[in-house]
Amino acid sequence: MTMDVSPSIKLNEPVLRWSARAHSIAEVEQELARIWAKQDLSTEMDGAPGRHIAARTSVMNLIVIARRPELAERGAATIQALTGRHPSRTVVVQSADPDGPSWLDARVEAHCILPREDAPETCAETIHLTAGGEAGRHLSAIVAPLIIHDLPVTVWWPGEPPFGSRAAYDLLSGSDRLVVDASTWNGDGLERLREMAGMLESTRLAISDFALIRQSRWREAIASIFDDSEFLPYLRSLRRIAVTYATHDETGAPGSTNIVKPLYHVAWLASRVGLNVVKPLAVVAERSTASSRSRPVSGSRPTIARGMAATLSDGRGEVAVVIRPVVSPMPAGTTLRVELLAERRGSELRADVTAEAETVHVRVWLDGVEALERRFLAARRGDVDLLAEAIEAGRRDDIAIGTLREAGELAGGAIVPVAARPAG
Amino acid sequence: MATRVKGKVEVPVKDPAPVDAPPDQPIPAQPSPRPKDAPKTMRELREYRQGKRPSRAKPTENVLREGLRLERVPDPSILVLFGATGDLAHRKVIPAMYHLWRTNLLPHEFLVLAVGRRPYDDDKFVAEVKKSLEQYSRILPLDEAAWNSFSERIRYHRCDFEDQAGFDVLGGRLEELDEENGTRGNRLFYLATQPSQFADIVAQLGRVGLDHEHHDGGWRRVVIEKPFGHDLNSAVRLNREVGKVFRESQVYRIDHYLGKETVRNLLVFRFGNGIFEPLWNRRYVDHVQITVAESIGIENRGAFYEETGASRDVLQNHLLQLVSLVAMEPPATFEADPLRDEKVKVLRAIASPVEQAGNVVRGQYGPGWVAATPVPGYREEQDVDKLSETETYVAARLAIDDWRWSGVPFYVRTGKRLPKRSTEIAIQFREVPHRLFSEAASEPDPNLLAIRIQPDEGIMLRFGAKVPGLGMAIRPVTMDFTYGSAFNVDSPDAYETLILDALQGDASLFTRADEVEEAWSIVDPIIDLWATSPPPDLPNYDAGTWGPVEAEEMIERDGRRWRRI
Repeated sequence: MTMDVSPSIKLNEPVLRWSARAHSIAEVEQELARIWAKQDLSTEMDGAPGRHIAARTSVMNLIVIARRPELAERGAATIQALTGRHPSRTVVVQSADPDGPSWLDARVEAHCILPREDAPETCAETIHLTAGGEAGRHLSAIVAPLIIHDLPVTVWWPGEPPFGSRAAYDLLSGSDRLVVDASTWNGDGLERLREMAGMLESTRLAISDFALIRQSRWREAIASIFDDSEFLPYLRSLRRIAVTYATHDETGAPGSTNIVKPLYHVAWLASRVGLNVVKPLAVVAERSTASSRSRPVSGSRPTIARGMAATLSDGRGEVAVVIRPVVSPMPAGTTLRVELLAERRGSELRADVTAEAETVHVRVWLDGVEALERRFLAARRGDVDLLAEAIEAGRRDDIAIGTLREAGELAGGAIVPVAARPAG
Repeated sequence: MATRVKGKVEVPVKDPAPVDAPPDQPIPAQPSPRPKDAPKTMRELREYRQGKRPSRAKPTENVLREGLRLERVPDPSILVLFGATGDLAHRKVIPAMYHLWRTNLLPHEFLVLAVGRRPYDDDKFVAEVKKSLEQYSRILPLDEAAWNSFSERIRYHRCDFEDQAGFDVLGGRLEELDEENGTRGNRLFYLATQPSQFADIVAQLGRVGLDHEHHDGGWRRVVIEKPFGHDLNSAVRLNREVGKVFRESQVYRIDHYLGKETVRNLLVFRFGNGIFEPLWNRRYVDHVQITVAESIGIENRGAFYEETGASRDVLQNHLLQLVSLVAMEPPATFEADPLRDEKVKVLRAIASPVEQAGNVVRGQYGPGWVAATPVPGYREEQDVDKLSETETYVAARLAIDDWRWSGVPFYVRTGKRLPKRSTEIAIQFREVPHRLFSEAASEPDPNLLAIRIQPDEGIMLRFGAKVPGLGMAIRPVTMDFTYGSAFNVDSPDAYETLILDALQGDASLFTRADEVEEAWSIVDPIIDLWATSPPPDLPNYDAGTWGPVEAEEMIERDGRRWRRI
């Protein structure tokens, strides 16, 4: 079934211009060819006919692996909004009825956007694939025939990528970039983070994590402290890093809140400054006081505000790390505050960075004297902007790699996927 | 120095927290207690620390900056804006600074000291700035929080540019502002005044020692707007006057065209791609056309335009800059001087077009229609002489006598009141050496690469393709890259790019003294020739047309045509 959709076009709003159904990969390929073979995909502007689709435009292949229908819908909507900015051939893959017979259902669509009145339309294809039965377990086999040659392949995996599975490994090892949002992973997110760090080590995959990209406003604010030549020497003398995050769980039980975002702050700082992990993150299990903080109390139940602690080293001394929860109405796992303490030649620099509605607030004290206060305007970003930035990152980004590696170490060390391990 | 922005704090943590607080303890409100006689302000702390032995360690790089939007932020500084009440300052310079501030690209310790003749105080000037931002900012409405914090960084200094006392006071005021705001003696003097005032202002800055840089920091730079000189002699004179006060490395001559995204992309396109450079020479290129077309007239700038004309306003700077960027050899590094060395070599290789008759055409528009609207002729514009001979159009055939371009003409044209606004560079390639399809219904056109600079920035490559069917018809088709489609993002204004570069000390996109003089040495003979020869029958083109017929004839003599844009 084919539908030629010709609605009136509004500027910068993607419109569906073509829709067809298919039940095999071969039929999908036929439909893709038919879209662009049709000579007159004219539409109407203000009721007058005439505008033509200028060309299919693709700058990349974008594969969305959505295990649930709502993730698929969200993913497709985000990508449509990106049509003008990053026109891609998009394949949205869902699996269904894993124990039933194999089947394939596909919807092939063309979405077009008019960037300006006098510009040609930019159009891109989206293929919604639902694979039933065993077919759904062979992601790579479904996706490979639909990829445009020689264009980069980005896999956006909303939800929980099963890094340990053969199917995930096969798909990702043949791709250029993986886009995830580790802050949405179940539990504290640390185990899967270690697996992702393992994937980084065992493939050439570039990884973009929304959780890390979202923090760029924090990173700019923290970096700005050390733009000041008076404060810059303290960067090499960090002694303590504390990150406070929001939780909704008053018991403070370990694993109740995803802590990937606060962990990334520490990992980024540590990787940039060159700090090594001496002790990975561990729950602070006893009622901590200045004298007994490191001695666990047998049988005690961790409570709110105890958080997790780790130890880093710069080769000259240790750097204490604390990641602590505070009950807050903010989304669980959101970073509320980053505090730094640096000591150098008997002088002390303290920095306090907090987020407000649309700003990040930086305050610095040097030897107890307030030395800097600045607010950084930085709007929160939605999926469209985050995905766009992830795509624009290009090749493997050293900063992201360093941060992910350090985060993996802080979480207990990278876990290399089974499929990537040498046989035997 | 504190800046406070009011707003509801969503974060439940109320007070600054010392990081050594135990994780499960309440967070005290203040950092660890200090002795009673401890310094309480940064100034006191700095004075107290002066007695201590300073570190000999060289400050390291801020490694946290790597991978962020700016890997190096400008130093704390004061931008001293001369001509602050003028049109350029309000339309371009101040909006650019506001946007840089809004997007956190300026240092915290940044100040604008606006210098003008009008009897304003800080508040009055700030109110004027807000009004003009509400009109000229490229993103509206204004971001109130950003505006509030930006406006706190604006000061006004009343000063007549001929008044020595005003400059004496200026030096003291800048020192005070440095002390109060931690701007550390770094100053960017921005001359957005009438060109006739450039030399006087620079001389005054030198007289009061505001050009002196300090060993412990404290750089001084001067940005000078175009036009830089009225002809070669005046440009040499102005360079000499500026050179008496500032070293060349401190001087940033601005041509905003060089800050445009597509112009900068021209360098990436040429030197970041392997497939074009091998074709970029006389062996494959037939000719080059560069067009800077404007549909607007002189927009109430009659007095200014009567003095300049199209040759001085566009040919001497924008057009010759584009020629040098297209024709230059690859620089050894992407740094200011290697880049500018190569551009200067191109300009030196251009013989003035007047050496061959008919290689320059001038025109002036008469009444006509532009975009379905009747418009007056140039001589009917306000502040224009009814018998004016000022050119509003110029076209020239330039020859670059070097190894790469010998025999390849560069046709350039610019004009007011042309049918549309368009700036474009077109590289017309040679025909194929052997006409294999001579019996086809239509022969393939030579390949063409068009680089559109404005509007609709992008790059188009034309090539021939067989029309589907049994016959052998060949039709030109295009591959079109449009910036707006591939990067549908907000590009900075050219002034934002250039002001940020000047604050960072990167002169790559600014014009050097010898570059300006070489450009004048190409244009000067044209102006001299026109001054001594009888003018054509002006006006010689109707508004809304592509210029005088002589321009068509100039290119048709070579068997070529202007591109239809």
